[in-house]
Amino acid sequence: MANDILLEIKDLHAGIGEKEILKGVNLTIRKGEIHAVMGPNGAGKSTLSAVLTGKPMYEVTSGSITFMGKDLLSMSPEERSWAGIFMSFQYPVEIPGVTITNFMKTAINAKREALGLEPMKAGDFLKLLKEKMAFVKMRPEFAKREVNVGFSGGEKKRNEIFQMAMLEPKFSILDETDSGLDVDALKIVADGVNALHTEETSAIIITHYQKLLEYVVPDVVHVLKAGRIVTTGGRELVDAIEKNGFDQFQ
Amino acid sequence: MANEVYILRPGSLRLPPEHVEVHDGESLNMTVIVLPGVSAQIPLRVDVCGSNASVTLNGLYLTDASDNVSIITDIRHTVSGSTSTQLFNGVASGQSRFSFFGKILIAQDAQKIEAYQTNRNILLSQNATVDTKPQLEIYADDVKCSHGATVGQLNADEQFYMRSRGIPEVEAKVLQVISFLSPVLAGIEDESLRASLAEEVENEIRKMSV
Ligand SMILES: Nc1ncnc2c1ncn2[C@@H]1O[C@H](COP(=O)(O)OP(=O)(O)OP(=O)(O)O)[C@@H](O)[C@H]1O
Ligand SMILES: [Mg+2]
Repeated sequence: MANDILLEIKDLHAGIGEKEILKGVNLTIRKGEIHAVMGPNGAGKSTLSAVLTGKPMYEVTSGSITFMGKDLLSMSPEERSWAGIFMSFQYPVEIPGVTITNFMKTAINAKREALGLEPMKAGDFLKLLKEKMAFVKMRPEFAKREVNVGFSGGEKKRNEIFQMAMLEPKFSILDETDSGLDVDALKIVADGVNALHTEETSAIIITHYQKLLEYVVPDVVHVLKAGRIVTTGGRELVDAIEKNGFDQFQ
Repeated sequence: MANEVYILRPGSLRLPPEHVEVHDGESLNMTVIVLPGVSAQIPLRVDVCGSNASVTLNGLYLTDASDNVSIITDIRHTVSGSTSTQLFNGVASGQSRFSFFGKILIAQDAQKIEAYQTNRNILLSQNATVDTKPQLEIYADDVKCSHGATVGQLNADEQFYMRSRGIPEVEAKVLQVISFLSPVLAGIEDESLRASLAEEVENEIRKMSV
């Protein structure tokens, strides 16, 4: 059913400057689905994430992206966030001088303002913050720390999932959130993603490893290679990739 | 001479003294704040003529429209055993002009001196200009001295990260500017003054063309 479709990418061509990186990507994601995107280094996976979230440097030369019936490409990054799109960054950015508390308060109240709602009451906000930090097992003192500054690799990734939990997106892109995580942290992240997943929300999981996909089981698996989706299948594709690499797909 | 704050607002320019002497065992902590709508030349000469003396000179500026501001510091260590630290951070927008000339002089027999100077600038518009010229004159050999000057723009990756979380572009820039200026405000000892200035500075940033 067409109205089950959350996100639809049609013949997307995009790149940076003169360099074309995505060379005709087609992808349809329905409500409730989890899609895995795998592919060799440099295939364009992070570029796809960047284009979905509206990173300024990237230029879309042709094709379309429709999100909940709206033209995503005409929306600013913040509007996409308000509409329910979230990306867990492959390389989370440090923001010196801005604490996690201030950062999240600003983000949440900006969305509320865009939706015509009053700012959240300070007490309610702090309660929510504490609850979501506990949810990803971040120690309370992190609330006062500057965003990602001096965080270990794993702490940065957990902070991404914390933000996801705070913002409750309809559509999440996890760009190698599992890279650099120890086994316990991987479990925390996977549990978090599963707990936030509902019949109404969808996700793209970009990964190089089987492990995360054992915890968060994808409905559909894609292989992205040289800017195109060259194969789409079920979870059996993950094993095939693990065994024989990407050369088997053209 | 404890902690003195000089604020230059349009129509109310409280300029710091042009020439201060700091003697044995004294410390000077001075902050200069230049808000939008001000054009001024601000000379600050400090003679550190005693030992065990310390000088902290901090400043922040916000220039916009056709403002034209220059800060000229001249710190002279004439005897042994003193320190000076300077930190000037500022943001230039519109067609404004800002210049920083910072001179540190350490006289021949002035040993065991530490003198540091930092000037960081952010250009918020292509039509704003910033000129920064550190000048060190060191005639003694047992000294620790450094200076650093930067002119740059707001970090685009930080901005995109914030926007991807739903923080509007302008708000993201305001947060970046606040965080860039906060080390200067942190040097103000009076807590209530610091808080009220932080608020005033934030309001001024919001009115600027970021
Ligand atoms: N800012 C940039 N300037 C120039 N080329 C870029 C830029 N960003 C990405 N590319 C190029 O685009 C291609 C795709 O990069 P992308 O980051 O999307 O790959 P990826 O599939 O995410 O790889 P990985 O698995 O290593 O994360 C690469 O060849 C990369 O070098
Ligand atoms: Mg990548």
